[in-house]
Amino acid sequence: MGIFSDDRANELRALFFESAQEILQALNDDALRLEKAPRDPEIVRDLRRSVHTLKGDAAACGYTDLSTLAHAMEDVLAPAVAERDPDGVVELVLIAADAFDNLLTAYRNHTDPPSTAPLYEKIARLRNPVPVPAFTPEFSWSAAELEEMREAASAKPVWQIALGIDSVCAMPAAALQLAHNVLASTGALLAIHPGATKPGAPETIVAALATEAPLEDLARKLKIPAVIANVHLTAFDPAALVELPVAEAAPQVPSTPAPEAPASVPAANSSQTEHRARDERMAPSENMLRVETERVDTVLDLVGELIIAKSMMHEAVAEMARHLAPGPLRTRATDTLTLQSQILHKLQRAVMKIRMVPVEQMFRRLPRVARDTARAVGHEVNVVIEGGNTDLDKSILDALAEPMMHLLRNAIDHGIEPPEERQRLGKPTEGTIRLDAYHQGNQVVIEISDDGRGIDTARVIQSAIDRGILRPDQAAHLPDEDALDLIFQAGLSTAAKITAISGRGVGMDVVKAVMDRLKGTINVRTTPGQGTTFRLKVPLTLAIIKALLFRINERLYAVPLASVVEILRAQEEEVHLVDNQEVLQVREQFVPLIRLRRIHPGGERRSKIFVIVVNVGDHLWGLVVDRLIGEQELVIKALDEHTINTEIVSGASILGDGRVVLVLGVAEIVEKLGRGQFTSSLRKAEGVQK
Amino acid sequence: MNAPQGMCEVCMEQFPALLRSSDRQPVRHLVVDDSVFARRNLARIIESYGGIIAGEAADGCKAISEYDRTTADVVLMDITMPQMEGIEAAERIVRQHPDARIIMVSSVGYQENIVAALQKGARHFVQKPVKAEVLYEVVKYVMGDAAVSVPLTQAGA
Repeated sequence: MGIFSDDRANELRALFFESAQEILQALNDDALRLEKAPRDPEIVRDLRRSVHTLKGDAAACGYTDLSTLAHAMEDVLAPAVAERDPDGVVELVLIAADAFDNLLTAYRNHTDPPSTAPLYEKIARLRNPVPVPAFTPEFSWSAAELEEMREAASAKPVWQIALGIDSVCAMPAAALQLAHNVLASTGALLAIHPGATKPGAPETIVAALATEAPLEDLARKLKIPAVIANVHLTAFDPAALVELPVAEAAPQVPSTPAPEAPASVPAANSSQTEHRARDERMAPSENMLRVETERVDTVLDLVGELIIAKSMMHEAVAEMARHLAPGPLRTRATDTLTLQSQILHKLQRAVMKIRMVPVEQMFRRLPRVARDTARAVGHEVNVVIEGGNTDLDKSILDALAEPMMHLLRNAIDHGIEPPEERQRLGKPTEGTIRLDAYHQGNQVVIEISDDGRGIDTARVIQSAIDRGILRPDQAAHLPDEDALDLIFQAGLSTAAKITAISGRGVGMDVVKAVMDRLKGTINVRTTPGQGTTFRLKVPLTLAIIKALLFRINERLYAVPLASVVEILRAQEEEVHLVDNQEVLQVREQFVPLIRLRRIHPGGERRSKIFVIVVNVGDHLWGLVVDRLIGEQELVIKALDEHTINTEIVSGASILGDGRVVLVLGVAEIVEKLGRGQFTSSLRKAEGVQK
Repeated sequence: MNAPQGMCEVCMEQFPALLRSSDRQPVRHLVVDDSVFARRNLARIIESYGGIIAGEAADGCKAISEYDRTTADVVLMDITMPQMEGIEAAERIVRQHPDARIIMVSSVGYQENIVAALQKGARHFVQKPVKAEVLYEVVKYVMGDAAVSVPLTQAGA
């Protein structure tokens, strides 16, 4: 870029990024068009033109990785190749679009461009249709590991093992542990850790094992069903090193180490050079820092302690203020405290931010799932993603991945109608799945909606009756939204699960369980013939919440503020009894009440009560408490399951004065103490007793 | 999740029967889960590949005594149960019987528990909802050389 001034260069780059995004979109669109009209030479030419433009622009900006990749792509985007392997071309373009996107992101953020090796391999395979294994591991060992491997190799064959985690296995840590167990039972395990993850590629495990077990036995044992999909074994050769082949077509037989090799080269000398070479290759980009989550969590824990210490300080100063006449010292103390809490607040945000990742990370996996599912069931879908840059705690996002995949598959399998049916209904043959994410206060909302047939509530009710979940007389006056909630009932969805033809029908109760664990909520809206929307609401982070504190019989409790709709003060005589359920009239609605004194019976009856109105699954419930304390930020500590009845208690926190607050889960309260789901039908019942 | 698809009868896939090679008997399973429904569901899957139920237990304590009684070939162990959790039950069984083949059965999102169970001697894990083809492969894997598969028609004879 030397010929331009910096300003000019930046301007040019901005323009490039803008147009590159358009090209990527065009690539995606055209690939999907080509999928529908395989072998169409016109579309192939369009694709080639787009890639060609990208190549030229990237080269002009000095982005050689991108332009070289685009150049290689151009070669295979020919009608003749599409004629031979139409699916392969579509696949390649989709993957390439992702790779281009990753490269662009890296350029924009000035980070190291990701490896594009797998893509080159795919291109090569398309050009010369010789089967090459898609699974190409990269081994990277620390100096200590190498040392150990070299030492072990003098006695036994040492294998470098790469295991590709099966895409159906959503638990990489469990996969790692199981692989560890299996390997340790087969030989001397020298090293094992997760492999470097390439964008879009499955997660891998790499390990080094010294064993005399035959290759076939090893490969068979390592092909752990439902956990490990690919096994790659390479003999470790202590003599030849540093640059390992990028791809091994077939496992090599381990050669017994030549005894003279180590002797001919001074050992210390050779290993030093090797290590240096390794270090340079492994050097992380200067702007990125990879840290174990554990370390970040420690910092977050300490911030939590600080917040507790802050409220202790706060109380001490308040106490002091009571004894001290107003003066400069008192003012200084309160001012300092205010400043300190501001900084603390920023610190907390900053630490939490480290754990935050864009929802995009999860969303971007979904279009492919959608495409595969749609293909499997013969439906046509288009996935629209919005709000991908909404940030969310990584652990929460990870936990949401599986439920989202379930919901997506369900939407495509059961929601979207077959193309013929859609045509008959006057809908576009291609169904639309919309994914969206956005912030709402201290929560993140993730939505997935389809424009399919909607949920047939009558059928849901009928199956609930068949399964004995619902009595026919209850069903008679069950509002639609309550009927919809039935799909989250264990028995019902399980029933759907085992009979679903695709074998993929899923327990919505499992989705619900994950949401409960995350202290999130899920609700569903459906319009017959027009579609269904699932809305998942999760807290931004699990560790610190805003809560409403109250007392029951002098004990302190709290509920998350996010679920509180309003707070009411009422007289006992305003409480009515409808069908043995206490209700309170709130404007034009009757809100069923739950007396939290049932947790702590006793205490004298007061004529004045406080009602915390909460929203659970789109229904209002009133929690009757003795006294309100106020709103406060609480640092949630996990509870030992054995010390406390955790059915309705979701966590505990310590206040500034050392008192313990139990945080109650609103959904759990309603489930355990409410009169079941169907009492809400009362709201629509007529004839309230006065 | 739209209208529960589900009112039609189950057409479960048929698998080759898994037999123990030494005595040509079906693989005997101990099913541990506090949900009756889950146990029944697993039983159907097990029967679909010719396995038999040697025993059932609804909690960890019962699982241990049932294993002592039956020494089942394979134990399918739920993670969360009353009385004693699956991990502890698995640990105790393995301590007494190092050859016990325990497969943890878990819902999405209990990864730490699975890892702990694997560290304590469980042999494998499957995710709920359990799919027949997955369980078949997993049982076959943990049985290793002890099991052979035979087409169901012959196995029945």
